[in-house]
Amino acid sequence: MSAPPAFRQQLLAAIPRLRRYARSLVYDAATADDLVQSALERALNHWRQFDPKRDLVLWLLAIAHNAFLDSLRRDKHLDVVSPERVADALDRTRSHEPDVGLQIDLRAALARLVPDQRSALLLVIVEQLSYAEAAEVLQVPEGTVMSRVSRARAVLRAWLDGSARANPASGASAKPDLRRVI
Amino acid sequence: MNPQPDFSDTDLSAWLDGEGSAEQRAAVEAHLRSHPDAAAKARLWSADRDALRARFDAVRGEEVPARLTETVLSGRGWASGRWAQAAAVAGLLLAGGAIGSALTWQWQAKQVTAAQAGTAQGWVQRAVYAHSVFTPEPRHAVEVRAQEEHLSRWLTRRIDLPVKLFDLRDEGFELMGGRLLPDATGKSAQLMYENAATKERVTVYLRKPDADAPTAFRYQQQDKLGLFYWVEAGAGYALVGALPKERLLALAQAIYRQGVAPVPAPASGPGR
Repeated sequence: MSAPPAFRQQLLAAIPRLRRYARSLVYDAATADDLVQSALERALNHWRQFDPKRDLVLWLLAIAHNAFLDSLRRDKHLDVVSPERVADALDRTRSHEPDVGLQIDLRAALARLVPDQRSALLLVIVEQLSYAEAAEVLQVPEGTVMSRVSRARAVLRAWLDGSARANPASGASAKPDLRRVI
Repeated sequence: MNPQPDFSDTDLSAWLDGEGSAEQRAAVEAHLRSHPDAAAKARLWSADRDALRARFDAVRGEEVPARLTETVLSGRGWASGRWAQAAAVAGLLLAGGAIGSALTWQWQAKQVTAAQAGTAQGWVQRAVYAHSVFTPEPRHAVEVRAQEEHLSRWLTRRIDLPVKLFDLRDEGFELMGGRLLPDATGKSAQLMYENAATKERVTVYLRKPDADAPTAFRYQQQDKLGLFYWVEAGAGYALVGALPKERLLALAQAIYRQGVAPVPAPASGPGR
């Protein structure tokens, strides 16, 4: 039996949330939507495993997270971010995004985080999950979420500070607008 | 700038995330008041948090790519395709940008077939009339009030159909009551719901369907009134209301869910 209409309707409603999480995890919009698509397919294939008493969005985020980990395993190169690749990926989206400098900095900074830290930080900060909810999504203890978020914050901030020092104000580097710090 | 043994980055981070007990939070706040360096870090971290949120919140407002919507709607054969169809007919999904997609064309084809088959069903029109006649009534909008226990039993006996009193409170609508109505060949029932805040009223018209009644889910707009109607498990449903399509669809969906569920969930829990 295929997934019931009501379930699909809820999936539809959850797409914007999933897209946001995916976009924050991987920097390229098309890659992020691939991730969302594969999460949706998995959800449809395993809809029976969903306990309606639980929160569907959490369940979907967990599926998306696993799909993300699988994609990392499949394409090792996604894990190791080369700065040129980040800049290239971001160049494509820059025109319609305001305040490009800051955003590129943020995303480049996010790319410095190891995946475990990145997903914990994004689930808590961007998705605004509680530590308990993020722990459920990531399948780790709450204390682990707490320390990963804290570590991620420190690394993110250090990278933003460091990039500020490396490129003071005017920015002699080739891409001055890539460096802006809040 | 010695790190405080009793104060760590983790404490600060958890505080920013609204975690921890009241005492823990108070301790962090006290520490921040007396340690400008920690307070400065808190400000930076919270600015980073706001910037991250601002950066990715925009994604939620973006138009969802058609391929994702199609994955959900068509993936693994949606048995009846009914909600997809309803939503598409109501123009809620795939609006713009999706013209030319196989799904859209398929739906359009279905609509044409339905129109050609002459499905301007009389009972649907009666549902609209009944809505127009009774909803403006301040006092006698319903014949039997919702509080009266026998409402469901009475209607069930009269129209020879199990009448469920749908719970639409999650959508903001409270059952006012119902009435019995003449139908072409027998009787039908009307349930009326009201939104206490906005005073909007919607009605659900229930009848025993004709043997050959098409079961497809349909949406129709008649001036200000929108209506969703369908036939399911031996009952014909028409939901009528002067509401935006999205809201009417949400109500129709709730009714559909409760209609096909073996037991209607009365309180329906913490819905989203």
